[in-house]
Amino acid sequence: MKFTIYQESRPGKRANNEDRLAHSYSREALLMVVADGMGGHYYGEIAAQIAVQVLVESFQREATPAIRDPFLFLQKSMTNAHRAIIDFTDDHNLKDSPRTTCVACIVQDSIAYWAHAGDSRLYLMRDGKVLTHTRDHSRVQLLKDQGVINAAQAAVHPDRNKVYSCLGGRQTPEIEFSRKTPLEAGDVLALCTDGLWGVLSGEMMAVALKSENLMQAVPMLLGQADIRGGPNADNLSILVVRWEDSYIEEGATPTSVISTQTMSRDTITTRLDEFGRNPNYKTELSDEEIERAIEEIRSTIQKYSK
Amino acid sequence: MIASIPMAQQANYALPAGYQLDEYRIEHQLSLGGFSIVYLATDNKGETVAIKEYLPNSLALRAEGEIKPLISEEHIPAFRYGMKCFFEEGRALARLSHPNVIRVLNFFRANDTVYMVMEYEHGRTLQEFIQKNRAVVTENFIRNVFTKLLNGLREVHSHKLLHLDLKPSNIYMRNDYTPVLIDFGAARQTLACDTPMLKPMYTPGFASPEHYHQREFLGPWSDIYSVGASMYASLAASAPQAADSRMEKDKLIPAMVRWEGQYSDQLLETIDWCLCLNHLYRPQSVFALQKALTEKVNKPKLIKKNWLGHMVGKFKGKTGTS
Repeated sequence: MKFTIYQESRPGKRANNEDRLAHSYSREALLMVVADGMGGHYYGEIAAQIAVQVLVESFQREATPAIRDPFLFLQKSMTNAHRAIIDFTDDHNLKDSPRTTCVACIVQDSIAYWAHAGDSRLYLMRDGKVLTHTRDHSRVQLLKDQGVINAAQAAVHPDRNKVYSCLGGRQTPEIEFSRKTPLEAGDVLALCTDGLWGVLSGEMMAVALKSENLMQAVPMLLGQADIRGGPNADNLSILVVRWEDSYIEEGATPTSVISTQTMSRDTITTRLDEFGRNPNYKTELSDEEIERAIEEIRSTIQKYSK
Repeated sequence: MIASIPMAQQANYALPAGYQLDEYRIEHQLSLGGFSIVYLATDNKGETVAIKEYLPNSLALRAEGEIKPLISEEHIPAFRYGMKCFFEEGRALARLSHPNVIRVLNFFRANDTVYMVMEYEHGRTLQEFIQKNRAVVTENFIRNVFTKLLNGLREVHSHKLLHLDLKPSNIYMRNDYTPVLIDFGAARQTLACDTPMLKPMYTPGFASPEHYHQREFLGPWSDIYSVGASMYASLAASAPQAADSRMEKDKLIPAMVRWEGQYSDQLLETIDWCLCLNHLYRPQSVFALQKALTEKVNKPKLIKKNWLGHMVGKFKGKTGTS
């Protein structure tokens, strides 16, 4: 298994980042999850965190090193995540259950299996073009499918953020599954939240992600989305994997490519930001901010000293 | 988590004497706190200054002989967050120019952390002062020191700031007995409340009841409670009962009862007034308190104690300070 993977989440112009991303891989399987929390009082964040955590933990248990039945795995773990959020709601006597969208994908033997609930999307891209993407579980999508509104109307529809399926709600989520999709070398899978696809078309993303260097392309793409989002830009999150040509010679492999060939059978590597421990988007003070704060204090000292 | 435990217990090593920090030469360490180290230093003109180094010992560790502190990656967000609070203190002080408030002279970045340069005053904290000079703590002394101190606090409040950690160890006494407010580490701008994550900082005994539970009620009256507690502590030579435990069972002997006849009723009443648990019953502004402290009163009639009263007084003193 050889691939390049990159994930990044930004708060946009929101005070809080309710998006969560994670990926985890063993020698033979790769899991990717994106969740976009909903609900007031910061709880959306918790729902999203519970969702990615439940999926990652299940993966860590069941990828030994392959997942026996990827679709069954996705179905079970997403349902478990749904129940875990409801348990949290009951434990904390919350009036309104926090909810989260969830899109998850397993790649194993160069075959992709994905499932989703809500309006976070998975795109499969090949040669800079979108091959397919998930269909949102939103009212707008339904209206569009029924021919009531067209794509342009959908983009500005007041209900465009309303989803009818998600994890954690009082209703059982409707989880939609993909087909078994074989991947070719160079294929790109992008999982993202509505903050991103709402402002950038799939085509634009596909072109941007054609680039060899995901570590460069993804931050640029997010930067672009951030600008397009304007003063109310939503949380922006994307997790991108490029499936690498396994025939490439070892020496020519860029260092950012992950090869799981050398991993032992019982190892699993995970990238999942812990809750609270890495609240960078809230507290991180950048070098420029430090410089600016110091400059401000110095000029105030100047101003008030006699 | 386990790795951070021994770190938290270890004290940080101070920068060595003679170390050239920006334009300052470190002379020696003045104090070591959980969040910072304060040094005595000399600037390039030979003036003595105090430099406060941001160095929370639970997040950053400076080993012996090292200059740059070691900050583990997992602690960087928390370290930087704390830095924000340090900046708050700098911002708060930079705008204040008052003889009874410590002056900030400079602020700079070095050794992966930040430093605040303050004027250095010859003297000692009120805390040390009241421990060592019991005889000096007279009615006049209390009235003089606190009236001047309140001038500084008025200035603080007029900038829409609250000190929130007033106590004898944060009041510095110059050698001429004029007080200076120091350590604005807990100071917050009352209006811009954009940092709800801030852990409240307070000192038991001096913090008002609203420091503990009802932080939305914090106001000038909260600093006034601390002033009252500091006056009480000056007389008692020990901190009064903490406000949270007073809320459960108030065992604080009113100043009026404890020192009747030794100080004027008016002064003792003023102290008790500041120490009201209900914030609405306290003086609502520094000005109101200052007015009470500068009021002309008749000298108290000194009650001459017999030998028994003297012994009881001594015991009381002992239990008070232990």
